[in-house]
Amino acid sequence: MSSSPPSGPPAEGKRPHVIYLAIGFPPAAKSSTYRMRETANQFVKVGWDVTVVNIARESWELDSGIDLSLLEQVDPRVDIVELPLTREDLETDIRLYSEDRALNPNGWVAKLRRRQTKTFPEPNFGEWRSDLEQAVLKIHREKPADLLLASCVPYVNLAAAWKLWEEEQVPYAVDFRDGWSIDVIDGVEAFARDSEEGRWEKKVLDQAVSLWVVNDPIAEHYRARYPEFADRVHVVRNGYDADSSPGRVHKPDRESGLVFGYLGTVNFSIPHLETVLNAWRAAREKEPLLANARFELRGHIGNGAHRGANRHAEVLKEAEADGVFFGGPAAKAEVASIYASWDAMVLILIGGRYVTSGKVYEYMATGLPIVSAHAVEHDASNVLRGHPLWTGAVGIDEEGLTESFIKAAYMAVETTDEEHAEAMAHADQFTREALMSVAVKNLVEELAK
Amino acid sequence: MTEVLLVASTWPQFGVLTTSVRKFNELGARVRLAGTFPMDAEGIPEQLAEVALAEAAHQLPRNLKHRSQALRRRASKSPAGLRVWMQSHRDSWLRSHARNADVLVALDQGAVYTVWRLAEYNRAAAAQFGLAPALRAVEALKEQGGSTGGRGSVLPPLHAVTRDVKRSVDNLPAQIIRAATPRPVMRSGVGAKLWRTALAAPGVPIRVRAATSRYVAEGMRWAGRSSGAALALTDAAAKIPDPKLKADLYDEAMMQEVGKGISPRNMAKAVAARLAHADAEFAKGRTKEAAEALNRALFLDFHRVLHIDQLSSPLAKDAEGFVAPLHRSKAFQALSRPRGRKVPAAPAPTDRPLRLLITTSANDNFLHLVKEHFGDHPGVELRYLDLAANKHLKRISWAAPRMLQDRLADGQSDYQEEVERLMRPHLDWADTVFLEWAAGPASMLTTIDPGDTRIVVRLHSYEAFTRWPHMTDFSRVDDLVFIAPHVRDLTTSLVPMLRGEQAPRMPVIDNAMDLSGFDRPKLAEARYNLGLIGISQVAKDPKWALDVLERVRKHDDRYRLILVGDDMNPKTSRATREYLAEFEELLAPLEESGAVVRLGPTDDVPSKLVEIGTILSSSVREGCHVGVMEGAASGAVPVVRDWPFYAGKPNSARTLYPEGWVVGSPQEAAERILKVTATEESWRAAGDLAKEHALTVWDWPVVQKHFEKLFLQNG
Repeated sequence: MSSSPPSGPPAEGKRPHVIYLAIGFPPAAKSSTYRMRETANQFVKVGWDVTVVNIARESWELDSGIDLSLLEQVDPRVDIVELPLTREDLETDIRLYSEDRALNPNGWVAKLRRRQTKTFPEPNFGEWRSDLEQAVLKIHREKPADLLLASCVPYVNLAAAWKLWEEEQVPYAVDFRDGWSIDVIDGVEAFARDSEEGRWEKKVLDQAVSLWVVNDPIAEHYRARYPEFADRVHVVRNGYDADSSPGRVHKPDRESGLVFGYLGTVNFSIPHLETVLNAWRAAREKEPLLANARFELRGHIGNGAHRGANRHAEVLKEAEADGVFFGGPAAKAEVASIYASWDAMVLILIGGRYVTSGKVYEYMATGLPIVSAHAVEHDASNVLRGHPLWTGAVGIDEEGLTESFIKAAYMAVETTDEEHAEAMAHADQFTREALMSVAVKNLVEELAK
Repeated sequence: MTEVLLVASTWPQFGVLTTSVRKFNELGARVRLAGTFPMDAEGIPEQLAEVALAEAAHQLPRNLKHRSQALRRRASKSPAGLRVWMQSHRDSWLRSHARNADVLVALDQGAVYTVWRLAEYNRAAAAQFGLAPALRAVEALKEQGGSTGGRGSVLPPLHAVTRDVKRSVDNLPAQIIRAATPRPVMRSGVGAKLWRTALAAPGVPIRVRAATSRYVAEGMRWAGRSSGAALALTDAAAKIPDPKLKADLYDEAMMQEVGKGISPRNMAKAVAARLAHADAEFAKGRTKEAAEALNRALFLDFHRVLHIDQLSSPLAKDAEGFVAPLHRSKAFQALSRPRGRKVPAAPAPTDRPLRLLITTSANDNFLHLVKEHFGDHPGVELRYLDLAANKHLKRISWAAPRMLQDRLADGQSDYQEEVERLMRPHLDWADTVFLEWAAGPASMLTTIDPGDTRIVVRLHSYEAFTRWPHMTDFSRVDDLVFIAPHVRDLTTSLVPMLRGEQAPRMPVIDNAMDLSGFDRPKLAEARYNLGLIGISQVAKDPKWALDVLERVRKHDDRYRLILVGDDMNPKTSRATREYLAEFEELLAPLEESGAVVRLGPTDDVPSKLVEIGTILSSSVREGCHVGVMEGAASGAVPVVRDWPFYAGKPNSARTLYPEGWVVGSPQEAAERILKVTATEESWRAAGDLAKEHALTVWDWPVVQKHFEKLFLQNG
């Protein structure tokens, strides 16, 4: 590593420049996209030039899909560099397959993943390392950067951040969102300190200006793991976008049936989904108010060859007789109107105390009753505590969820306009713009120290 | 019109397919479906009609039945994708529609290779894996007019022809041997003997001998000679000096027979060869290879076909003798060396409640009362950890090769580090860990020094017949709890560490059972009803119960047998399948005549027992037969077979149960039943005595005191 000092904050009068490694930036339709978009916009707002590094949009078509409407809210001053990188494992064009891959598609992908971790310890993405490193060096040489912000996943972004630091002493910050060394789903350490991942994480965080994570439990994990780094760990919650909120007091129509909704990626397990659907069926049978109710799910389902056609899609299709309808992905521009057509929300989340999920904020902002279909000990429960139209968390339990659906149905029809307004107000503290503007401002200040 | 050809090797997801076909049609595409899955299976024609593909669906050959045996033998060793292609490629419908297709689509993994090959004939068509990508391809085509224009050729491209010719030449030796070992030759004793003589001939190069023996064994297997196949491999193995190859061939020989549910005759040789291989690698310091070989040796030695799915086990005859070869192996000695703990377990705290961690891997069948009791106990702070509910913990709990490598590398492995990382927080919290089942998780947990946390492990019964006690470091266990003395005897005879200085305490505590709910009035008719609760394993040997039934019915045909519980799962093993088939055959007429009533599984055993007057235990081995204890508590008269695995030993069914309950034969059982049930008075009196014994010895209020003593008074 070079012994020259870091480049430090920019000279007075010059617009500072941040290279933002944001693989998942619009038009990618990922759950992290909104956070990335707001981060970039906030940097522009505080007077920075921003160069976003993403992968080509064609690559997202194989992954979580694209939503061009997401680009509309990106500040036009943000430069976007799209690298021609794709996830090889998601390729569906059989003409591009070798005979080995065609003979055993799963086995071939398993081997590919092992190979990819040789370059950087991250399956699916490890081999992007060199391209990302060269890309940030090139951007810096063309337009010197004062800061690099790496949003992970993928963690291979850390290698590029490190390269630019090592070669050009450009300081960097990391937005881990859900963290790396913590498995947020199972709530255990994901890897050992002396594993390759562990060494990478420590090396990179040792020199980072700041580390962002999405909730307190994850922050506690990092503070405990790296006490020397504790004061640089910050909780930057996900929040919701004000333009996704229906922004009106809701009027349910009992005659045509209440509508319950789920909007988000269908990433939970089949047994989890089946428990929710069984509870839904039982609630419809038990409660006359729900007899003609519908349950709409919108979002991405499956990827690669299984996009829109995995077992989850089949389970949802089979539940059509129970008023369940899967409407596929929703464009960001449609979100507010979709929420406006629903009477209650169903919050289906994986994981436990380390998972918050961005959905919870957006759901709160609808001001609609919320049925929680997740573990009792879940960070979403912490966020929802005090929400007047929350049914409470009963765990992934069929009988408990049946009652929650019924409770939410009554909340939907009996709640006054004032109570709805109060529920919407509960979310006010979590608008994404408010949260990210503080986070970016603090980061810029930390850099100046 | 855009032509779309879907290819599937398994049943498609019809709901999703329906939506997609509609979308294809809306885009102006015509869809056809070719599948190797059975299209005439129940419900499929209706579903195809619903998808609007009834007229456009084509059944591809579902197997290779009418093709040459050499091809079928090759197919059986080929990847699934290649098998689908071998089945389909001569189908004229498929070839014709593939040539005319604009988009070729594989619906599942198995169909990908077929589409890949078809795409070689139709170079213009798009070839996609999955419905969503196929829809995108059709959309793209629509923008260009809807069709690829060109049609495929009848001939494949030159490079494909060259590749196929080369492949045929490469496969030549295999084809020749396969052709020389056809079913008629191998079926005849002379042909089989001729080949076996050839395999044992001197001067044959090692690799050729090994390869030839494998093809000959394959031929024998196809001719229905499983044992001949095993012999061919063992003959060759005997002549091979290389330890790994020798062990591989013995291993394959053993598996030929095990796969057929037969106790293999050359098991000892197979295990010895694998242990020799492990020792050779261990001596060279190659711990990974040594661990893999040792893992395989243990797998073979404790194969369930030998010990679980049979009516006997080598362990029943001579347990110490059976494991002696293991203990002679240097690699195994390294595995079973006690490593102890740095500090002894701390005594239970007196100034605060005991922190008790109860843990298991999924199976908590016998834990409910214990959890409930201590969850509500003022002197205990309870946590429960299901190792199977967390993918990280599940992965380390059963990772036998990694455990072995860690032991052979003297604790210098990333496995040890991973266990430390994942389990240490639990050990740090707990004063006492109670681990249910002495299986994989016990081996995992004892990989690390528990510090001053007390470790209590419970061994029920089946674990003694597995490799796990041999991979557990009992010098890191404070108490190994058994549920019956005879299981303790067997386990200690198998594991020397349990007889040494560092052996844990080994208390016997009865299973936790709430028997009070079983005490219900019995109907008078129950006197003639024999009952058997639990028939889901071969070891339950329900055929013995049928024998007893027949004997009592000879005297009085009012006797019936009531079977309660799940049937055996024929998928468990071939041995299970065969036992089940024989049992079903015996059962069919008895069931038809009403002599046997099968009630199936139930959550409410007490109400079933109301109708049962005599409770049977027909098993060849048990830890403690819960069904018998529950039956006794209900006032049914227990008639227990002297479980053959333990019969005649210092501890057995005879020492576990009161005198008079246990019988040595079906005849003795019949005599006891006829005598006790001769009058309603004698039957009820015997039932009352059984009930009294059950409730005073095995009921939870009695047993819970033993658990309190175990946890709160340090055993």
